[in-house]
Amino acid sequence: MNLKVRFALFFSIMGPGIVTAFADNDAGGIATYAAAGAKYGYSLIFTMLISTVLLAIAQEISARTGAVTGRGLSDLIRENYGVKWTFFAMSVLLIANLGTTASEFSGIATSFEIFGVSKYLSVPIMAFIIWWLVIKTDYGKLEKILLILCITFFSYVISGIIVHPPWPHILVESITPSFSGTPAFLMMAIGVIGTTITPWGQFYVQASVVDKGITAKDYRYTRWDVLIGTFFTGFIAFFIIVATAATLYVNHIPIETAKDVALALKPLAGNYASFLFGFGLLGASMLAAFVLPLSTSYAVCEAFGFEHGISKSYKEAPAFFSLYTVLIVFGAVIVLWPNLSLYNIMLTTQVVNGILLPPILIFMVLIASKKSIMGEYVNSGLFNVIAWAFTFILVLLTLLLLLSTLFPEYITHSLGFLSL
Amino acid sequence: MNELKVLGEFYFSQLANKPIWDAKGKRIGKLLDMAMRWDSVSPHVTGIRYAKGVSSLIPFEWVASWKKDGLRLNTNFDPQKTYPLHDDETFIGKWLLDKQIIDLEGSKLVRVNDLSLSWLSHEDHQYLVLVAVDIGVRGLFRRLGVEFLLSRINNNFVGCQYIKPLENRTSALQLTREKEQLRQLHPADIADLFETMDYKQRANLLDALDSQQAVDALAEMELEAQVEMIIQMDESRASDILEEMPPDEAADILSELSVEKSEELLSLMESDDAEDVRELMQYEEDTAGSLMTTEYIGLPFWLTAEQAINELRRLAPEAETIYYLYVVDEQETLEGVLSLRELIIASPETPLKDLMHKKIVKISPYEDHEKVADIIHKYGLLAVPVVNDQDQVLGIITVDDVLELFMPERPRGEILSSLVARRHQPKGGHNE
Repeated sequence: MNLKVRFALFFSIMGPGIVTAFADNDAGGIATYAAAGAKYGYSLIFTMLISTVLLAIAQEISARTGAVTGRGLSDLIRENYGVKWTFFAMSVLLIANLGTTASEFSGIATSFEIFGVSKYLSVPIMAFIIWWLVIKTDYGKLEKILLILCITFFSYVISGIIVHPPWPHILVESITPSFSGTPAFLMMAIGVIGTTITPWGQFYVQASVVDKGITAKDYRYTRWDVLIGTFFTGFIAFFIIVATAATLYVNHIPIETAKDVALALKPLAGNYASFLFGFGLLGASMLAAFVLPLSTSYAVCEAFGFEHGISKSYKEAPAFFSLYTVLIVFGAVIVLWPNLSLYNIMLTTQVVNGILLPPILIFMVLIASKKSIMGEYVNSGLFNVIAWAFTFILVLLTLLLLLSTLFPEYITHSLGFLSL
Repeated sequence: MNELKVLGEFYFSQLANKPIWDAKGKRIGKLLDMAMRWDSVSPHVTGIRYAKGVSSLIPFEWVASWKKDGLRLNTNFDPQKTYPLHDDETFIGKWLLDKQIIDLEGSKLVRVNDLSLSWLSHEDHQYLVLVAVDIGVRGLFRRLGVEFLLSRINNNFVGCQYIKPLENRTSALQLTREKEQLRQLHPADIADLFETMDYKQRANLLDALDSQQAVDALAEMELEAQVEMIIQMDESRASDILEEMPPDEAADILSELSVEKSEELLSLMESDDAEDVRELMQYEEDTAGSLMTTEYIGLPFWLTAEQAINELRRLAPEAETIYYLYVVDEQETLEGVLSLRELIIASPETPLKDLMHKKIVKISPYEDHEKVADIIHKYGLLAVPVVNDQDQVLGIITVDDVLELFMPERPRGEILSSLVARRHQPKGGHNE
């Protein structure tokens, strides 16, 4: 095969990894990265870089499993671990995704508030539009428009460069692990990991690889797709942290609402900063709000053998459509609850995602290391060690968070002791 | 003593992981899975896997009683007398439970939630027979241990004569039986099944179909799905199927593939078929040439009506339409046309050249689609011949090829479900 053919093949196959990557930097993602930068300066960049590497590993496993087996993750869990484990995994996915859907709607609400529209107006209308568009139209075309909106996030990259941050200092921070045992810091760290690597992202990337009909033969191109997507997730996240750290952290401006995050774009866009931010946030939140309820319903119905598919009628696939509708309605209602901070919804759901991630990861790694399922594409020994270590670290962090919330003094003290 | 007696009815989930005691009351293990043989009419259990890491089985004959709280053996347990899994046996739980199968009655993919078994006795022999698979929500709740929540809902069973597991086993007997069952499915249903399957399941189902059925099913699919199927098949199978397809459809599919891939497939096809397809592929997308098929009926002008009918019998299975017969000379130059009706009512000795119409509506392969539609519409034709500058016939365009161009895309699902509904009125029957 010559180079041209290879490129043509790559472009026909790319998509799943890149779409997932951009949907990963959704409302919750931006809120979390910005909060990390504004509150802890550059010190969480290290966590972010690690979680990007881990994202690459996790997405690679999912995409590979999808290409080799031609099955979705929930399907594989059901066939290999039976009903009870599937029920458990699907409950985890449902809780995590309901939260994430709510966080996407907070993103939508916030971006409309920037344009001066009340959330009590924007959220119900957008929820209905999303619900209706997915059922009645061709979602593929919409996806491309939303991806273009997401490009506005590259403005953080430009902004991050023109504020002239102390690069040598950032470089040192990026490679030195810093750690503190306070519940707030742990929560932030789990949040950063939880927003980068999401349970739904793993299900989604695998499902779309399967959906594109990619087989084991073409897998090497998909690997590039996944790696390039992961790079962009990390790249943008890195600059959001840098931009917010250089503007907000340095000037001790705390973030109280997501709108404050737009301040980091001031050096680039001046007074238009909040508009730029608003468009980007809207694109990312919509992209994820489209993808999430739909892919959740697919995964759950696939696992339990309920009829599913948007081409079916409500009568043919009642469970599918009910679940889809319930997810959107609940997501919207949570956001509309009076006196609830939108920004806190975004942050909290990322932490919940981080806590719920390990069970899903364990299933993924277990399946990808089964020779009977993966054949010659089975996880290598070294790869497995990394994957397990990573899962273990995440479980440990979650436990630490739990303990530090219950006994804050004790954990802070003992961790302080460790770092000495 | 000759009649069938039902000693008990169970679900697989009720027996799974239940303890097994021998005659002395010693606990030997638990029921992990059951080996099943499906040679005669009903699939029946032949052995029990009783411990992890032990590959040998407890023979079915040792079991004295099947109860929901456990199994009791009629002998003392002796590991020496257990036996390994035979080639014609399968582990029923591993093979069916939680897996997707084709429900041949409803013609769709479903997931097996539980298995329904009956413990029977007949002429001193006892059997544990697989009766049906449970695909309902109640089965799902039973597996979760909360069946009581749904005790008012009926179970949703599919009798095991109506299931087609997707993972094939090696038993040849089983395969012929499955082929027999699959023959009842309408090609449109098979097409729909294909579209909901992943590529491995597709390969398995494809192996179980005979090649005509595979071709028919493929013909029912949209071009995009056809292309995906062909790409996912191994090359030799793909080229076999392309050979069997009408050349115009094969050409459509191949022109969607990369040049390398389509050349590779063409080189694997029989040279005659490949030649036809190549010829069709050379025409631009919006020309008459791209619409036509080379499978028309051309008869030499010196035949008599009787000879022509005999010739027609030979050619008809391959041809796209037989209502128009084209009369040609040795150089394939189009001399005339006659309809099937005219041929049948003519007296047997009349030569074709006296029967045929000499004023023929024909079209060049470089005309555009609009023009083709115009002509077919204007003259009220079922098909129009495509000829080159020397009046040699290249192929024909039928009215359905043109219709397809101008109809908005059909919502597939609805058409299919009405098909299924129609087919199911006489239960399990098959009407074309």
